[in-house]
Amino acid sequence: MCGIIGCVGCGDETLSTLMHGLSKLEYRGYDSAGVALVGSGGLRVDKTAGEIAALESSVADRDDLSGTVGVGHTRWSTHGPPTDDNAHPHRDCAGRVAVVHNGIIENYRELRDELSASGHTFDSDTDTEVVPHLVEAGLDAGNDPERAFRDAVARLEGSYALACVVEGTEAVLVARNDSPLVLGIDDDATYLASDVPAFRAFTDRVVYLEDGDVARLTPAGWSVTGADGRPREPAVETVEWDAEDTGKSGYDHFMLKEIHEQPRALRQCLRGRVDELGGDVTLEELDDLAVDRAHLVAAGTSYHAAVYGARLLRADGVPAQAFLSHEYAVAPPPMEDATVVGVSQSGETADTLAATRTARRRGAETLALTNTVGSTMARECDHVCYIRSGPEIGVAATKTFAGQQTALNLLSQRLADGPVDRELLAALRDLPGDVQAVLDGTDAEAVAETYLDAEAYFFIGRALQQAVAMEGALKMKEITYRHAEGFAAGELKHGTLALVTPDTPVVAAVTGDDEAARKTVGSIKEVEARGAPVVAVTDGRADVERYVDHVLEIPETHPRTAAILANVQLQLLAYHTAAKLGRPVDKPRNLAKSVTVE
Amino acid sequence: MNVTTGVVLAAGEGTRMRPLTHDRPKTMLPAADRPVLEHVLDVLVDCGLERIRLVVGYERDRVQEHFGHAHRDVPLTYVRQRKQLGSGHALQQAAGAVEPPVLVLNGDRVIGEDVVAGVLEAFDGRPTVGALEHPEPSKYGAVRVDDGRLTELVERPDDGDYRLINAGVYAFDERVFDAADRTARRDGELQLPDVIGTLMDDGEVRAVRTDGLWGDATYPWDLLYLNRELLARERVDRPRREEAVWVADSARVHGTATLQPPVVVGPDVEVAAGAVVGPNVTVGRNGTVGANVTLRNAVLDADCRVGDGATLADCVAGRKVAVGVGSAVVGGPGDVHVEGRVFEDRALGAVLADRATVGGGVTVAPGTLVGADATVGDGVFLSGTVADGAEVVR
Repeated sequence: MCGIIGCVGCGDETLSTLMHGLSKLEYRGYDSAGVALVGSGGLRVDKTAGEIAALESSVADRDDLSGTVGVGHTRWSTHGPPTDDNAHPHRDCAGRVAVVHNGIIENYRELRDELSASGHTFDSDTDTEVVPHLVEAGLDAGNDPERAFRDAVARLEGSYALACVVEGTEAVLVARNDSPLVLGIDDDATYLASDVPAFRAFTDRVVYLEDGDVARLTPAGWSVTGADGRPREPAVETVEWDAEDTGKSGYDHFMLKEIHEQPRALRQCLRGRVDELGGDVTLEELDDLAVDRAHLVAAGTSYHAAVYGARLLRADGVPAQAFLSHEYAVAPPPMEDATVVGVSQSGETADTLAATRTARRRGAETLALTNTVGSTMARECDHVCYIRSGPEIGVAATKTFAGQQTALNLLSQRLADGPVDRELLAALRDLPGDVQAVLDGTDAEAVAETYLDAEAYFFIGRALQQAVAMEGALKMKEITYRHAEGFAAGELKHGTLALVTPDTPVVAAVTGDDEAARKTVGSIKEVEARGAPVVAVTDGRADVERYVDHVLEIPETHPRTAAILANVQLQLLAYHTAAKLGRPVDKPRNLAKSVTVE
Repeated sequence: MNVTTGVVLAAGEGTRMRPLTHDRPKTMLPAADRPVLEHVLDVLVDCGLERIRLVVGYERDRVQEHFGHAHRDVPLTYVRQRKQLGSGHALQQAAGAVEPPVLVLNGDRVIGEDVVAGVLEAFDGRPTVGALEHPEPSKYGAVRVDDGRLTELVERPDDGDYRLINAGVYAFDERVFDAADRTARRDGELQLPDVIGTLMDDGEVRAVRTDGLWGDATYPWDLLYLNRELLARERVDRPRREEAVWVADSARVHGTATLQPPVVVGPDVEVAAGAVVGPNVTVGRNGTVGANVTLRNAVLDADCRVGDGATLADCVAGRKVAVGVGSAVVGGPGDVHVEGRVFEDRALGAVLADRATVGGGVTVAPGTLVGADATVGDGVFLSGTVADGAEVVR
């Protein structure tokens, strides 16, 4: 759950290129950061605990920090607390080798014991530090740096994206296994990073590395060797994202920007896929997909999208179930010829990758529903459907959740046996405008202000709105650090009602006027009787205004799209609560954007 | 002297454009298939500016969301004017955030590249104002120029003895910020022309005669005029299907629909069988035009839905407007009420503001303004002004 960066061929700009990359990768983790450069002055390293800003001020004081090749790292702790020592890059005993790493080396204890026994001393508590010492051992044995690096990598078990520099060698050595790693190709320079935004300002040509690949980046160019040890010539692809897509554009936080980007993101998601007058849904990339039964696997926000999607599929006659991917990987249910749908914004979520891999091993057909073209999940699965939300930087997922919900509607219509639901197609075409109407007219900020001192927040909803309630609570706890719970409204009286007091606002998503809505109104009356303030997110059809303290309105629409609109109000409620509490909205403590470790 | 930084004033609401400005500043109203402000930014980019700072305020999310961090690879940054206290006050907000010299202009006018290029070329370090011939100087800021020197600047003069107007395009060095600080506010507001007055008192202000497109969007019917002008000048950013017919790739137009040039059909639009669209029509993205609909001299912003058999003539529709089956906006001329004044015989069929919903079989008299979120029931005969959020039933 870290970010790595490296570059060769940048000359005097090497340090600034690395710092720029780190700032773009900060969303991946941010409890410490560091850089290593190799130049005529030898190997120089600077690293420090804290955000990138701490490293920036530290490197500003170092006039010896120069070089023509370099690597950098931003860390989110998995082994050992965030300290200067535990920050990457890590070095060998002699200070000739520096390594940055994203992932987990599972056999590091054995390797460490072995290296310690042969005289190596370790400065940190990290798993990573075994790598530079292994390389050092290879150099001591008389091998050249590339050979020493390859031998070291061969000893490692676990997941890693590694980048290594060696004193006296104008090259960066790179290896990948189960952790994201991409090369950026420019005329004079070559970059590597965990994710494209790190070098997108410099080039749009990229090479996605495969598991088992080892690459060597030199001023003369780059070369890749595959898992079988033979040279490989992977395709150079062009990414479409604009570097400036990742700026804050006048908003206080990326999260707020991304919330406001939802109309545009949903237009992208729907473009060319819905033909309202012709009554048709097309998902070009899924032409040959037939599904009898579906298992949706996901974690976090994506899991809530999966819960929502599974309901849609079941209503459309496709037996479907949502599973937490980390549970699915270790305790899979009977497959029964199910198609396994991995739902992951980044396509790199280690837990969900483990689940789709488990499914593949068991012979299941797999489908990736992701935002990231070229991601590991997109490449590994048999089919892929993109949600086309554009880059998302805020750790709390917003527009990508709406994108997942929308894409799942399309998928469900595409897989349904019966005729398409024309009312739904019209509602989907209206969706971007409806989201805009919610953004224009929301009272979420005032509601957030009212309940800033709440002890806890409860979110309830039935049927499709259950998934929304769960997601609303997750958003709230992620960024406000307040306790929040979301669940099916019917569960209230089976336990949580005991916690409901006048200091615990209950947020209820009530849309339409069907049985689910009427029953949710019943649940609202239950909490009302306990003196809890109630906030209703409603289209006004269930006549719920009489029982509640605040109303967050959404336009009247199809029940399926109502669940997308209701969620927008909950995003805004969580955002404004967090912003008023002064939380670091885009980078909540202990969390990282794409969870690339299991 | 080389100017590389532009400051665009885009913070005001534009009250005379109500009800179209219910949820967005008037800079974001549609001029053909793009917001007015996008045309302004295009011109600045074409003129080679390297940095653009936007002063935003009223409903600034709309501006920020649309343009983001760059326009055609030129970096955009935003500064917020919390209270809209005039164009001079807006420029003051940008002080400190920009390196003079700067080019300053309003974001609510569609202007030709020649106007901006003329000011940039003439700028020699002294404050420079763009001037332009206009048939009706009495409606704008009139100016007199003597040998490249600005000698007089009068807002909306009563007598007609002027030929030139202030184009609202300025180049300034750092002295403008000091002059703005020293200029007295009028009615609590600080306007740029008053700051120019201070600069004139201090010394010489240059004026440069320019020529080119200059389209002011002040009143709702101006949007129809701008649409016609822009289509006639082919300033449309969509694939050209044939002479003066532009259709986005993702639009679906039925084979039996007729597109009469000039006409623009935006992305994701669906046009059903038998519809007649044009001339002088822009259908914004994701619109749905039903069977046998007639659209003539009309601007429809994004997400509009026109029911089968409806007719819209001389009509401006905001976002997500729905018009029911068989309804008719019969077209101008008509009398229009704006801020307590009556403008007679304007070529305006109707303004339907954002999210207005008009039922089936409704007849809309010329000059009608329908407010944002208003609902009009089936079979109503509509005229005059319908308030925001109002419900009209037969």
